[in-house]
Amino acid sequence: MEHASFIIGSWVVTALAVGVYAGWIIKRGRDLARRSSDKDFPWT
Amino acid sequence: MDLTPRPSDDVAATPRRKRRWLPMTLIAASLIGGGVVVTQFLTSAIDYYCNVDEIGVREGCDSDRRVRVQGVVEQGSVRKEDGATVFTLGFNGKTLDVTYQGDPGGIFQECISVVAHGRIAAAGFDSDRIEVRHSNQYVEKNETRIDESNEEAAACSLLVE
Amino acid sequence: MAVRLRAVNISTETRLSTGTVATRRLGALAIVMLTVLAVLALIISPEDVNQGSTVRIMYVHVPTIWVAYMAFILTAVCSATYLSGRNRSLGWDRVAGASAEIGVLFVALSLLTGSLWGRITWGTYWVWDARLTSTAFLFITYIGYLAVRRLDGTQRQRARRSSVLALLAVLEIPLVHFSVRLWRSLHQEASVATGGTDVELDDLMLFSLFFGLAAFSVLFVWLLLHRQRMLYLEDAMSSQGLDAAIEARRKEAVR
Repeated sequence: MEHASFIIGSWVVTALAVGVYAGWIIKRGRDLARRSSDKDFPWT
Repeated sequence: MDLTPRPSDDVAATPRRKRRWLPMTLIAASLIGGGVVVTQFLTSAIDYYCNVDEIGVREGCDSDRRVRVQGVVEQGSVRKEDGATVFTLGFNGKTLDVTYQGDPGGIFQECISVVAHGRIAAAGFDSDRIEVRHSNQYVEKNETRIDESNEEAAACSLLVE
Repeated sequence: MAVRLRAVNISTETRLSTGTVATRRLGALAIVMLTVLAVLALIISPEDVNQGSTVRIMYVHVPTIWVAYMAFILTAVCSATYLSGRNRSLGWDRVAGASAEIGVLFVALSLLTGSLWGRITWGTYWVWDARLTSTAFLFITYIGYLAVRRLDGTQRQRARRSSVLALLAVLEIPLVHFSVRLWRSLHQEASVATGGTDVELDDLMLFSLFFGLAAFSVLFVWLLLHRQRMLYLEDAMSSQGLDAAIEARRKEAVR
């Protein structure tokens, strides 16, 4: 594949950025949910 | 009632105080950033954008200033001369000889639309920057299509009658 | 017995996070669709006659800006609903804030992938061209929006300030989209949203692109659900902090 580093690079950068963001959302969501004194959330 | 948060271990109260400088810095940075972006756009727009057929005709497309010229690279016109790339740019029945020092890069090829930055000289156009302007058409590359694209390429030239 | 214990654990786990069974299914669907998209885009879909394999960046570049547009429009709709609503539910403001944050991430990714694509097709990472400039301006505007959300004040003040800003900022989207027609631009015009004229893509390329839009849309919904629930928890905890502070002062006054 011509210019493979640019093509794969753009996919990898996107995957990494979204992955890190999604991971942060899940982790922080869990931390907040555990620390919250009210355990009855609207989505449960 | 005074409700300023007291120093405490309360997780909800502490993080906001620490971060008070952050939003103000971000707002200032975005205002400055926005200003820089607009300024850059306006500054680069000073290089007048002309189509090949507008050179010497449209106001601003003259030899006494830097311009950006848009046109299609003529078929069979691209050649190398002492490290420079020389080619003919055509648009709307008019042509312009362009000299660019070096290799334009990107997907520069015959029959593709490009924007050349530079100055109009006695023997054509001296360019110091070439940008390839590809179309919004995406066509599958395969054997049958190559014939079609060759036909299209022949049709793109103003020099080939 | 073991099975029952496990069931209890899972239910506690679900309760103590921003996830539910539905979001887990949605997340799994997003992962599957994005994997299929990567295979379609990087292996199956054909090369372009002019651009060769560099066209493969399009399948990630276009969906990222699609998500960003969608996110910013949703931010504006929720902000308008908040401002016009009778009860002014802060839920609308939280969805607006979550959506804008995701939009900022995706517009950044769009600028980045577009810049890589530009280097190998136009021959340059960046030009101060109408489409690129207006997209950069859009990115900076929403960074500003997120910063305004973090200014000191009550949750209601935050909602009011940011809603007004969101309604102004969304006006930039038509400017970005039509910039390639308004100004002479290096960026190509739209290939699919052409406003009635023919679609400028071959079949499998078109399918891959639409599949990409769908996959990224599912990802967007998943991110949005989790992020706005996280904001709910943050708001709830800061309210609890405020309630605790009021209670503490009351006790001090009584003493």
